[in-house]
Amino acid sequence: MSLFWSVIRQLAEIEAMATSKKVITRDEWEKKLNDVKIRKEDMNKLVMNFLVTEGYVDAAEKFRMESGTEPDIDLATITDRMAVKKAVQSGNVEDAIEKVNDLNPEILDTNPQLFFHLQQQRLIELIRNGKIEEALEFAQEELAPRGEENQSFLEELERTVALLAFEDVKNSPVGDLLDISQRLKTASEVNAAILTSQSHEKDPKLPSLLRMLLWAQNQLDEKAAYPRITDLFTATLEDPAV
Amino acid sequence: MPGSASTTHRPEGLIERLRSAAADGGEAKLKVLRELKNQIIGNRTKKLSYIKLGAVPSVVSILSSASSSVDCLLIQCAATIGSFACGVDAGVKAVLDAGAFPHLINLLSHSNEKVVDAGARALKMIYQSKAAPKYDFFQHKNIEFLISLLDKNNENVTGLGASIITHSCETNNEQKILADAGVLKKLINLLQGTTSQRDASLESFATIIKQNPEVITKFVGPENSTTFGSLLELTKDRYPRTRLLACICLTLIKNATSSSSSSSSSSSYLQSVGIRTKLILVLLELVDDFGQVGDEALFTLSSFIEHEEDLQKLAFEANTVDKLCHQMQKESLQAKRLEGIFTTLGNLCSNLEPCRSIVLQSPKALIIITDALTHTTTDVRVAACICLKNVSRSVKYLSAGHFMTEAVIMPVIQLLYDASTSVQVAALCTVSNLVVDFRTHKSLFIQSGGVKQLVELSKSMDSTVRLNAVWALRNLMFLVDSRCKEEIFMDLKLFPLTRLISDSNACVQEQALGLVCNLVNGPVDSIMYLFTEGLLLNTVGRELRRASKPQVLVQAMYVMCNVASGKEFEKEAVMQQLVNEDDNNQSIIVTLLQSDVASLRTAVVWTVVNLSIPTGAGALTRVVKLRNAGVVSQLKNMVNDPCLDVKLRVRTALGQSMTFGDFST
Repeated sequence: MSLFWSVIRQLAEIEAMATSKKVITRDEWEKKLNDVKIRKEDMNKLVMNFLVTEGYVDAAEKFRMESGTEPDIDLATITDRMAVKKAVQSGNVEDAIEKVNDLNPEILDTNPQLFFHLQQQRLIELIRNGKIEEALEFAQEELAPRGEENQSFLEELERTVALLAFEDVKNSPVGDLLDISQRLKTASEVNAAILTSQSHEKDPKLPSLLRMLLWAQNQLDEKAAYPRITDLFTATLEDPAV
Repeated sequence: MPGSASTTHRPEGLIERLRSAAADGGEAKLKVLRELKNQIIGNRTKKLSYIKLGAVPSVVSILSSASSSVDCLLIQCAATIGSFACGVDAGVKAVLDAGAFPHLINLLSHSNEKVVDAGARALKMIYQSKAAPKYDFFQHKNIEFLISLLDKNNENVTGLGASIITHSCETNNEQKILADAGVLKKLINLLQGTTSQRDASLESFATIIKQNPEVITKFVGPENSTTFGSLLELTKDRYPRTRLLACICLTLIKNATSSSSSSSSSSSYLQSVGIRTKLILVLLELVDDFGQVGDEALFTLSSFIEHEEDLQKLAFEANTVDKLCHQMQKESLQAKRLEGIFTTLGNLCSNLEPCRSIVLQSPKALIIITDALTHTTTDVRVAACICLKNVSRSVKYLSAGHFMTEAVIMPVIQLLYDASTSVQVAALCTVSNLVVDFRTHKSLFIQSGGVKQLVELSKSMDSTVRLNAVWALRNLMFLVDSRCKEEIFMDLKLFPLTRLISDSNACVQEQALGLVCNLVNGPVDSIMYLFTEGLLLNTVGRELRRASKPQVLVQAMYVMCNVASGKEFEKEAVMQQLVNEDDNNQSIIVTLLQSDVASLRTAVVWTVVNLSIPTGAGALTRVVKLRNAGVVSQLKNMVNDPCLDVKLRVRTALGQSMTFGDFST
């Protein structure tokens, strides 16, 4: 009898331990965090990686001089890459294509999808500027052969040419192509391709570190109450809610 | 003035300006070259039309006459030439014909790194085409040059070196020369470099080790564990193409070493179940990519599991079959993808019944496979057909008549008429399987006109086609009813059959004799086929005296054995073939009883058993003849034959011959 009850009591205790969260105070937490060592050079590299990937060339140059952190690619290529990106964003697609080809002729020669999207953007710009005849000729001569080579290109081409069919293009089902977001999409595709050709990752590492931090906190929330960071901007530790 | 921008880009106008720039020189060159380059990059149609208009020689002549100090002109020339060569074989040919090669090589030693880049890129493009000339590795200075390329600290130059290897290294000797020159080591070092260096190195690494156990044992063995470790590490790389190439290298290492004679070192390659499973999972994940990487991942997976049932089990446990069955239902799959799916499924179903079950229970899978039998691409038809063959190895579904439906049989028969030999052979193998074991369902195949085409193919000049056609006929004849037998025999006819029995290819002979065996098996009247004009039995008897391949002799002897199970007339006919009293040489029966091959001895003893059955008018005479020919005393030597089957039948035969008393005293 007594054994039975003691077993039941033990089980209840285990149950309680499983459901109630462990509480970690701010002091304990800060102590733990202080034990984690982070090298200064690693921090600098992360910052440099962010500046390089996002294309802040002047800042990167300054940061290189002040911190002595060497970027993993030639900073001059950032200028070139940003010039390409800017050209697409402002609708000068032909200019962008020439710049990419000067940078590395392999990029567009070995990436048919990117090449098609740039040519498509060129067509969109011609239509936007009301150069209808030129647009038609361009679609016929430059884009139609790509459509013959690839079914999905053909579908995209048909959608783009449909821009010519609507009087009120903005409110048509293909109106999104004229939107500025289409330019940004194309620009970021070119940007990523140039970065890849330079063996550089197309996304900076800092955002993924922060994503990982938020994810880890969410995992930990299920098991413990601790000072968590909710506001990434200030990165302040908030007292655990008990 | 509409379309002004486009009209100045018209090829004819640009070509005109290019020609005059090449002739006059001056500032115009650079501008027109750049314009041409920007016209053709990424644009196959334009490349072809400019090649046709003769643009390439003009560009090359600008390059050849350019002073080495005008860097930007050199760069534009090289870039334009490189683009002409990129992805267009006609472009590579035009570039080589125009004599660009030596000029591009010169650029590699230029002091400006950008010029070197441009030259190396152009040469790399050339070597990425099949139309490029083969690089001669047997010349020492060429190997030196190649190594100097791999040593450069420039990714385009090392990439060029790797491309040369990938393009030109084909034979085992070439692989050995490169490995001995230390190229593998250099490639491994390049794995630490940029993405493009890594991929290019992995690709040429694969080229050097492909099907070459000697090179692998020497350079990639466990003592070079870092190489092996690097490859394993790269299967987790961020880039799919890199992961794929690492898997390809590991698959080549495993396949080359496991197929080579069971050397002790082979056991150390990729034996860990953990690593094997990991590799399968990596490849399976890559299969989700619907581009080239995914296609190649399928073929790599297929070759990784091809000859090992254990690996097929691991792949099965990783849900490969479900995944592929699901994937094949997708609309408008490319030919390469379909081929990959069918090849991998075919491999999985070659041994494992659970795999076959999943395919057969998966909705529409069998329909999709049979539909693919009429696909326009030859390789897809072959792959689908082999897949169907292996799925139909399921005895359970086969004997349930699952495949003898018009939906399956008609397209397979159609493939027997295919223009491609590889399709015909695959179809014959499939037919062989489908017709093997279901009495009631065979008539559909016969009624659908399949036999006529099988007979036609059994006359093929190609011995593989002939072999598989006879094989299919043999299986079709297995346990078939008398009516079907007659129909098949009518189509086959006597004379072609005798010719197949005497075929120059022993494998064909074996199948043809197996076919005769199945023909005379069963009801006693079946034996009559052999006596039509007395030809067939004579032919079989002649092969028994002439053939040397044991399998042929076994089949021929079983024909005799089946005939000897008949009545007096048939028994006597067999006696005439096997025991010739006028001949002073040793009887063929005795010779064959002395064979080393147990299955042959079994067949002979069975025949003697049938001949010495003590009932029938001629029984005594036959036993006496056998005794006189030395058969009985030979049997007495065999009462303790190592083969149990032989031993038992020898005792039966001796017992029967004793019934008439022992004349030996």
